[in-house]
Amino acid sequence: MTTISDHILKVRDVHYAYHTAGVATPVLHGIDLELRRGEFVIIMGPSGCGKTTLLNIIGLMMPARSGTVELDGAEVSSLDDAGRASVRRNKLGFVFQRFNLLPVLTVEQNVSLALRLRGDQLDGQAIRILERVGLADKRHSKPNALSVGEQQRAAIARAVVRRPALLLADEPTGSLDSRNAQSVLDLLRELNASDGVTTLMITHNEHLADRADRVLFMHDGRFA
Amino acid sequence: MLLLAIAHLRHRKLRTTLSILAVGIGIAMLIVMLGLSHGMLNEVADRMQSVDAELIVLPENENVIFTAGAAFSGKYAPLIDAFEMDGRRVVKRTIGVMVDTLHMGGQQQRLFGVDRDDMNAFLGRRKIIEGRLFDADRKFGNLLDSMRNENGYYDPTRITESQEASACELVIDTRLARVGKYSVGDQITFLGRSFKIVGIVQSGVAGRVFCPIQVLQHFKNAGVPWVSLFFVQLRPQQETAASNYDERVADALSAHIKAKVELKTAYRQLMYESFSQVYIYINAASGVALVVCFLFILLTMYTMVLERTREIGILKSLGAGRMYLLRMSVIEAVIICTCGTIVGIGLAFGAKYGLESAKPLLTMTIEPKFVAIALAIGVVGGSLSAIYPGYRAANLDPVAALGFD
Repeated sequence: MTTISDHILKVRDVHYAYHTAGVATPVLHGIDLELRRGEFVIIMGPSGCGKTTLLNIIGLMMPARSGTVELDGAEVSSLDDAGRASVRRNKLGFVFQRFNLLPVLTVEQNVSLALRLRGDQLDGQAIRILERVGLADKRHSKPNALSVGEQQRAAIARAVVRRPALLLADEPTGSLDSRNAQSVLDLLRELNASDGVTTLMITHNEHLADRADRVLFMHDGRFA
Repeated sequence: MLLLAIAHLRHRKLRTTLSILAVGIGIAMLIVMLGLSHGMLNEVADRMQSVDAELIVLPENENVIFTAGAAFSGKYAPLIDAFEMDGRRVVKRTIGVMVDTLHMGGQQQRLFGVDRDDMNAFLGRRKIIEGRLFDADRKFGNLLDSMRNENGYYDPTRITESQEASACELVIDTRLARVGKYSVGDQITFLGRSFKIVGIVQSGVAGRVFCPIQVLQHFKNAGVPWVSLFFVQLRPQQETAASNYDERVADALSAHIKAKVELKTAYRQLMYESFSQVYIYINAASGVALVVCFLFILLTMYTMVLERTREIGILKSLGAGRMYLLRMSVIEAVIICTCGTIVGIGLAFGAKYGLESAKPLLTMTIEPKFVAIALAIGVVGGSLSAIYPGYRAANLDPVAALGFD
């Protein structure tokens, strides 16, 4: 039986519309979503259906027009800017399609930056996570010296080094070939299995869907 | 945060170097202008302070800095000598000086015409490095004195050309000798005559060039013993009270002889007041230079924010708050400005060395307070310049920033 504390995420009746030149374009129409701790959920759907918008709202990168987001037992959608930044720092991890590593820092510095932002002691955490993702020997390299697959592994290491309550991955395999895509998904699943990192992932790749605990399909701003 | 700021600066080495240079040049300009203006005035003031006298007597409405020519008749010296205050004579010695200018060492120099017997008040402990004092044995002075009537006048036509020629002597200081590469025996044309350098004295004396006052009076005033100003030595104060003794004497003497009497110690302040307009210009020019260099920093930081829009989005996704991004911008600017200020201080010392080597008559003083001012302006200015770009960074929409190419 599922209890309330089992849920890491609860999204209730979230609406969102983009406004361009005074014209509102609705994107999300009353989304409800719950994720249990340790779950690995994939959201699929056609381009423009609102997947990324939903992920950004859950990740507190943009505010919902209406509805609520509850993360790890706390209502977070009404927080102010500083509160949102704090939640992103302490509860969330992001993995993007374009990796989004800081080009001026080495791989290790990119990973340790996530810890520094939270004021954590480094204590070799960055190196340990880089060992786990197979990049320990590349830790002094700049991102542009890595292959795309390695860059995404580094981005995943940065996202999980703080042990987030929820890992949000927006098309993490979208820029990778099939071999690298499979490898990255293997890594995400391994982290999910071994560390219990709850993961919400968006992908277009249907071949990856069978690796999820649950697959949700979105269409026109609603779950099908 | 420091790590990231340094990484950014190292990533854009050329721009960082140019920014540091921009700040450095602005700061160097500030220090050089302050150092030159203060150095030149202080050097002149120090030389005037070296005169063994307490008071300077000038014509009313005259400025102690710019006074020259014949201003006081020969009757003033006895008046000053005999001046009494509280029933007691207070003046120990009155030294008349005729001030003129002549061109030496590539620029106009202030020439002090002084009686040979009064030169000890100007020399103090300074040595004659080479040669001797002018008017040896006061021969010319004594000759004229022997010809003067009871009013101090004489018939200048009775002085022969050879007597005139032998009296045309100059003493210069070591700095001028170095600049003009002058040595004893060199001839200088002045007042249409040939003057011979007979001595070189250690620098620091009130005038860079001295000649017998009688020569100036003879050629310029047909022997009329007028002077430009007086230095007045006071007798030692008898009573122990009245710490403002010199001021009291100056006020009383001024009222007695109807002339302006300044304290020698006030000379520095008088110089600063006389050049106050110049200081306004210097401060304005320095201010403009600094504003330009800080606008450059603002533009640099603003460009950096635009360039790093995506990066700012990444930092926001990692949980960086507004204050973090604002501080990051400010820290980068402070690093640039601190390095720039240090470079500027180095450039200023280099400029001092270069200027004083090329133009030894220039005095540039880099006082610790100038360095402190430069550091404060550099750091504060840099911080302020980064606030607007930092504010822009802090307020970027994270989703839009992440989508930026």
